[in-house]
Amino acid sequence: MLVSDVMTRKVVAIGPDTPIRDVQTLMEQRNIRHFPILQSRSNTEPDALIGIVSDRDVRLVGADHPRSPAGVTAAHPISQLMVFPVLTAHPDDPIEETAKVLRENKIGAMPVMDDGRLVGIVTGIDMLDALIRMSGVYEAASRLEVEVANRPGALADLLRHVAARNVNVSSVMTTRGDPDTVTFVLRVATVDGHGLARHLRSQGFSVPWPPEPGSDDLPRTGGRGDEVPPATDGTTRKA
Amino acid sequence: MSTQGFKFVYDPELARFELAPDHPFKPLRFEITRSLLAAVGLLSDADLVSPIPLEDDDILMVHDWRFVEAVKSVTVASKARQDTGLAAYGLGTSDNPLFDDMHDKIARVCAATVTAVDLVASGRALRTANLAGGLHHALRDRASGFCIYNDLAIAIRKAVDHYGLRVAYIDIDAHHGDGVQWLFYDDPAVLTISMHESGRYLFPGTGHTYETGKDAGRGTAVNVPLEPFTEDASFLACFDMVVPRAIEHFAPDLIVLQAGADTHRYDPLADLWLSLEGMGESYRRVVDLADTYAGGRLVVTGGGGYDPYQTVPRAWARLWAEVVGKELPAELPTFWVEDWQRRLGVSMPTVSTEDPAGLTPAPRRAAITSRNRSVAERLLTTLEKIWQRE
Repeated sequence: MLVSDVMTRKVVAIGPDTPIRDVQTLMEQRNIRHFPILQSRSNTEPDALIGIVSDRDVRLVGADHPRSPAGVTAAHPISQLMVFPVLTAHPDDPIEETAKVLRENKIGAMPVMDDGRLVGIVTGIDMLDALIRMSGVYEAASRLEVEVANRPGALADLLRHVAARNVNVSSVMTTRGDPDTVTFVLRVATVDGHGLARHLRSQGFSVPWPPEPGSDDLPRTGGRGDEVPPATDGTTRKA
Repeated sequence: MSTQGFKFVYDPELARFELAPDHPFKPLRFEITRSLLAAVGLLSDADLVSPIPLEDDDILMVHDWRFVEAVKSVTVASKARQDTGLAAYGLGTSDNPLFDDMHDKIARVCAATVTAVDLVASGRALRTANLAGGLHHALRDRASGFCIYNDLAIAIRKAVDHYGLRVAYIDIDAHHGDGVQWLFYDDPAVLTISMHESGRYLFPGTGHTYETGKDAGRGTAVNVPLEPFTEDASFLACFDMVVPRAIEHFAPDLIVLQAGADTHRYDPLADLWLSLEGMGESYRRVVDLADTYAGGRLVVTGGGGYDPYQTVPRAWARLWAEVVGKELPAELPTFWVEDWQRRLGVSMPTVSTEDPAGLTPAPRRAAITSRNRSVAERLLTTLEKIWQRE
């Protein structure tokens, strides 16, 4: 998944001379949190990205707050408030890299630039949406966590067992604990997720979720595949 | 009360197929239940109605035409070559294997549910049942969780569009009623309520309390996710906290109940721990709700239920008994027991219910009860806030 798959294409950009007051109004009316600031150049060149401003910067103007900018009022142009230079993304950037840049710089959004032209904006919320989509959480599935050794072929071994049961995989996510192991979060399109978990355990896999019968998380006194409680109604039960 | 106003939709073909040998979903459950009801004298020929076949347009009210074409394309030939193009539609997996005449067989199930709803919506019957129906996981363009077409959604769509009714759908299968919920998620004319084992543990993984509907349908999806090992008392307490309030607020013209029988403690595919008695109590409550809030109008269907010989026939016989306001006899007829034991080679139940004293209490009962109660309380708070803003 790339930035171009998740970015917002209709960007509201403003000029450097726009009064802060107007930006405040625009922010409230359109429910927008980040404004790129563009400076027009010649007719043949695209507008230049010269700064960015967030809703937080704008709200602090005139507020009784230690971080309010001194001497700046709502009548001043937005260029007094804007941040520059601006960190930007490219439409072909993988979203995980974009997420890392946003996080490490503690910023909420980046304008997306292609060949010097503003083509979109990508935000932390877009990253969350992408994570949700990648997790397959909207698809009907059973969720399993399987811990395997950190070695080539471990995932292939695991998926071979899933494929042998003719079960489709909706998504695979990877989490790492200690260096020797990898935990895969599988979402599998089958009603009988417990049956698959039981099968994987019988094949030697560690399956932390769903909790094993008898564990503290999910204690059982019988049930599927285990000893069936005796019938009490005069009938004999098949296990 | 005469059973004049109560109809049981029946066609022997509804029970005469398998998804695959050894598949947990067994249509034969329907015939076992029907024969039990006939044997105990709760079902006569006068109560039976044949399903009226559907037009393709009826199915296309709910399903994408490409998906329907894919289902129709399933033949002996595609089965043999394991047509990989079908996987995109959820077909050809171990849950939803290919079987011959798939379209015709499942369209007949849908026809039976539509017939059941038609009878009630048009005033020709007060309460009806299609125990072969209840395929609540099927999605607009995908088979899912043993369900190819969504008979419930097709029938509800027709009740809304053709008869102009407001429909409350109550789903007490152990699994979240996701297909029906998503198909009506933004529809203000359809309330979906699902009580189920929490998606943290069980397929399809959805049915969280925060799923409450969207746009015009906001506040018309209600989900009560329950802990594994939930027993009768806690299940019924949560039902009583949430369901009557939601139905009263919504004010339906018709209630549709999906009565999956996989909530029973002996069901092999889910972890809820209800007894036959608790399931029967929940059926009675739904009949009462229909009487109080929907002019008595009620349609009931089957659903899940993977303990097909001991649990399902007794649960659904009790369901029909509640629909017609009668009681099952304590002892089941010997000829019925012996007939099925001979035909299936399995032991059949001889009595209609269980001795509660003989049921093992669930582990951690107090913790489970407490957690379920707090889920129901938080859900009600969320819903009341949404409803206040309407």
